Amino acid sequence: MKKTFTALSMLSAVLIFASSCKDDKKNNPTPNYTVPTTYNFTNANFADATTRLGMVTEMQNVMKAALTGPVDGQLLKNMFANANSPFTGAAATYNTSGLQLKDQTPVLFQTDVSNFIDSLVKVSKSGTAASRGVAGVGASAASPNSKYALTATGVNYAQVFNKAIMGGLITYQIVNNYMTAGISSSVDNTNAVAGKGTAMEHNWDMAFGYWGVPIDFPTNKTGAKLWGSYSTQVDSGYKANKILMDAFLKGRAAISNKDNATRDAQATIILQAFEKLTGAAALQEVKEVKESISDNIARNSRLSECYGFVYSLKYNPKRKISDAEIDKILGMFPKNFYDLTLDQLNAIRDEIAGQYGFESVKDVL
Amino acid sequence: MRKLIYTATIAVSAFVLIQSCSKSNPGNNNGNGGNTGGGFDRKGMLTNMSTNVIIPAYTAYQTATTNLDAAVTAFTTAPDAAKLTAVQTAFKTAYLQWQSTSEFEFGPAGDANLSAGVDTYPTNVTQINSNISANTYNPDLLANLSAKGLPAMDYLLFGIGADNNAILTQYTTDATAGNRKTLLGKLSAELKANAAKILTAWNGTYKNTFLNATGTDVGSSAGQMVNELVFDYELLKNDEIGIPAGVQSMGTVFPEKVQAYYSKISLQLLLAHLQGVQDVYTGKDGLGFDDYVASTTAKYTDGTPLNDAIIKQFATAKAKLQTLTDPLSDNIKTNPTAVTAAYTELQKLTVMLKTDMPSALGILITFGDNDGD
Repeated sequence: MKKTFTALSMLSAVLIFASSCKDDKKNNPTPNYTVPTTYNFTNANFADATTRLGMVTEMQNVMKAALTGPVDGQLLKNMFANANSPFTGAAATYNTSGLQLKDQTPVLFQTDVSNFIDSLVKVSKSGTAASRGVAGVGASAASPNSKYALTATGVNYAQVFNKAIMGGLITYQIVNNYMTAGISSSVDNTNAVAGKGTAMEHNWDMAFGYWGVPIDFPTNKTGAKLWGSYSTQVDSGYKANKILMDAFLKGRAAISNKDNATRDAQATIILQAFEKLTGAAALQEVKEVKESISDNIARNSRLSECYGFVYSLKYNPKRKISDAEIDKILGMFPKNFYDLTLDQLNAIRDEIAGQYGFESVKDVL
Repeated sequence: MRKLIYTATIAVSAFVLIQSCSKSNPGNNNGNGGNTGGGFDRKGMLTNMSTNVIIPAYTAYQTATTNLDAAVTAFTTAPDAAKLTAVQTAFKTAYLQWQSTSEFEFGPAGDANLSAGVDTYPTNVTQINSNISANTYNPDLLANLSAKGLPAMDYLLFGIGADNNAILTQYTTDATAGNRKTLLGKLSAELKANAAKILTAWNGTYKNTFLNATGTDVGSSAGQMVNELVFDYELLKNDEIGIPAGVQSMGTVFPEKVQAYYSKISLQLLLAHLQGVQDVYTGKDGLGFDDYVASTTAKYTDGTPLNDAIIKQFATAKAKLQTLTDPLSDNIKTNPTAVTAAYTELQKLTVMLKTDMPSALGILITFGDNDGD
């Protein structure tokens, strides 16, 4: 009798565990090839993605001029479209690269970028210190060397641009192109071009390149930028570094070994992780807002970062979050950032955390 | 016999499944891990912390702010020199108590951002005066955080006249005396209300939430306590002495940035704060982080047990601070060598609390991992 009881309870235990592991088993069939631990694949090449991330950096540098004087808006627009040889110095090679940012982005984003640039240019011409109702450059109260260009309502459009382009360029390219059409059955995965691999391998490599991390990430974090930086910043609450790195490595190995099931499973993981990462990054900015909560200028700039991340979800065509939900969260931000209250900030936090299942880590991301 | 084999097979496969499940679940951060890690009684520590450290601190702070608000009401109803002195005394008592209450900025206090509302300094005199002249004060605006709380009261009770006679006229014959009395009353009432709110939450459901999050992961009570303790300690080291003494500005001093600049009790507050942090570390007489660290094999760089080194460093830092005198804002200018020496000892303690202790306990420090934008 006792033995039967044991067997039964063990059986139920097995059933419980088996059901909780079902998804894992489906998504992780044992591969019969080796998945390397760094992104060091034969013919891996993502130079074009790296070049475009470099263009973003150049635009960000020009925007920093808003802290000391007028920003050249036309130059920024030229850089966005790589028109009229806008890049100088070490970046001058971009001029003849045949690559641009604009044609890689959705139409909504192109319109938005133009508006962001115009807003920033206007602030940069103000010549007065930023305060409620006055556009201009303001200094952080806690560390006066940190300066921010804010509109009369406290919005830092350089930061809105920084976050928007992570969604409008990087996430958009990864989820709408490389993780979907880029690995479809019509894409060649047979004929390898020297230094570039097959067309499908190259698509996967480009997606990895856009993430913006070194090939031995996260052991080595040197030079990680944009999403590569944020996946580390949120790592205490959302293990995006490992989730993404594992998926990129497995998927690339799968493509080279014609293991389509594994490839597709990893693509889904990556595609979903980039949306979740955006939510995590927005929460990370809420935390930063709180860390500078009594510092009006720095707080507004950080709130702009949070706003930019939430807004950038609109550019993700594969998003799970609904348009109505995005608008609801954006509507929770005060019209004038100087009017922010703690209740509003906590409500924004709770809404994002609820959307992406981050309730238990909403304050530590 | 067959039954036995069957059982064994199930047991083995269950084991395998458990193994594979735990590996495939790296993002589990629900704060409810086991409470027997390393054999240390974490639940016992949390029980002691809440019963003998945290709730008594909030209770004392709630009493102090209630007394302060009563003294303010008496003063603003009929201002005179004796009542001004009484408010000033009640203010100092509340501020001293706050120094052993600021360490728990998680749970109810974290949600309410209690610390920022109570103790943002240097206070914004321009904003305070603008709130007085407009006779408007919206406590919900984060833009008012630097114009409220104990630092704003510090200014309003000690900083608006050369002596108490001059200060008294600001509440009697001055053109904006009425508005000033109104604001002072609103500020003390807000302190009192927020203190009561946090205490009520701790005496209510939050205590159980706290006691049941017995893990060491992100979101656990031990994890949150260590993070907030270290964060608060860094405010002590940086804001209360380091920044005013010029350690972040290549020696350019900012004496007016000390805590309680106008009432000139900065050093008293600093010592009370250090004691408050130490009491959280030791759990006073019961189970604390000292026992927890001592239950590990962690050693300080000099080879001594880590806990012994930490306790010793608390004493060293305290002794260095005791060589200084109030007003600290003057000491920063007249006795910079001793101020720097005290700061150096506080800095050593930072490394122990922020790096060595979390590493020994397997607790992750999650604040400050931002890009500085």
